[in-house]
Amino acid sequence: MKYFNLLIVLFPFSSVFAQPNCEAYKYYGDTLKYEACKKAMEIKGHYQFSKEYQTVLDQSIEIDPTFDYAYWAKSIAYLKSGDFVTWKKLIDKAVAYNPKGHLGYRGWCRYQFFRDYKGAIKDIEKLDSLVGYDIGQSQNGTYHLNIAKGLCYKAIEKQEKAIEIIEKQIKLNEEEDFVGAYDYLHLGVLYLETKKFEKAVETFNKQSQNNEIAENQYYLALTYQELDKPAKYKSCLEKVKELYIQGRKMYDPYSNPMDKIYLENIENELKKDYK
Amino acid sequence: MKKSILKLTLLFLMLCSCQTEKKDSEKKEYLRWVGDIEQNDKIDETEFKVCNGDANILQYFNLGKGPIYSGEKSKILNTFKTKYQPISDKNQNGLIRIRFIVNCKGNAGRFRVLQSDYDYQEKEFDNEIVSQFLNITKGIDNWVVLERDEVPVDYYMYLIFKITDGELIEILP
Repeated sequence: MKYFNLLIVLFPFSSVFAQPNCEAYKYYGDTLKYEACKKAMEIKGHYQFSKEYQTVLDQSIEIDPTFDYAYWAKSIAYLKSGDFVTWKKLIDKAVAYNPKGHLGYRGWCRYQFFRDYKGAIKDIEKLDSLVGYDIGQSQNGTYHLNIAKGLCYKAIEKQEKAIEIIEKQIKLNEEEDFVGAYDYLHLGVLYLETKKFEKAVETFNKQSQNNEIAENQYYLALTYQELDKPAKYKSCLEKVKELYIQGRKMYDPYSNPMDKIYLENIENELKKDYK
Repeated sequence: MKKSILKLTLLFLMLCSCQTEKKDSEKKEYLRWVGDIEQNDKIDETEFKVCNGDANILQYFNLGKGPIYSGEKSKILNTFKTKYQPISDKNQNGLIRIRFIVNCKGNAGRFRVLQSDYDYQEKEFDNEIVSQFLNITKGIDNWVVLERDEVPVDYYMYLIFKITDGELIEILP
């Protein structure tokens, strides 16, 4: 029992990455939230978009209108269907009732679904100012939230700031042996854009070792072109199309990731090469 | 006796008002899925048909292939960049979403528009901007046919246009 209580205290209101621990509300004497939580758990087995799922959560909110999890869970279908108006109203409520639990998620979604760079930066920085622990990964696990923040700075043309943030986070990720699937690629592209070509080559090579993808060879080719190394440029370019056709390219189930390339980009470059 | 009748009447009225309030809070009726678009003969082309019934329309991401376009996204970007004529106006800022159904033949129909400013507050853009995006989207005649278990499906798709000062900045997803 002692350990059970300890467990409840250690995992009090985890909300974003898993279902909430209803027992924790009971333990802390918040019976209303406990009831709302128990009701919300009836979503199990229903699709996020479905009438049943949404109705259960409405009932949960009726029990306790301050129950953040229900607003968050309701918001997902609106996010994924691109209904930014309803999504924002719902997720704002979740953030208002539990900022530490949902700011990182809202910031990430602003970036992933709506390319709201300034809004995403604001949310991630706010979260950082509120907590003393590591702010963690994006909802889909692709990036540390600081990498996502760096990408947003790049998008608003603050390249040097983006580099500083991403370099720092990659160093931490390397220490944990937890470098993201596209971390080096994005940093390499930033070096290329800011004409730090030698650093770009070095970083793209790290990406090759970590996770070789078409985009990596494509930007490496462009870097070699800048360095006036035509043989290496051509050799990289030859690999790009092959990797792309094999499906070794950037992917996200909902959106097209930043720095992603398309067959058209590859073919245009190949045409230039063979002129 | 009179008092009792009065009390009963009051109680009845109170119960009635509670019921009305309850009805108000419950008036939000969901369709099968969030964002479902029902055929409206007043605005939708009647020739457009879904192949497997409204109850079986999926979302583009249900098939695990990400957002895909015939000719990839670069073709969509080129189409809108070439065809959209910007309306230079400092007040035209925000997001326009056009959502629609792609049927099993790769044809699109039942287009719906959602508009907001950059703070996600609903607003109306200049109609000349909206109608351009709508018409260009309607003009795309070959969407990717998605399959589940080798059977072509109908699915919901959307495009979001980010507009700053009347200029097209980005297209999502």
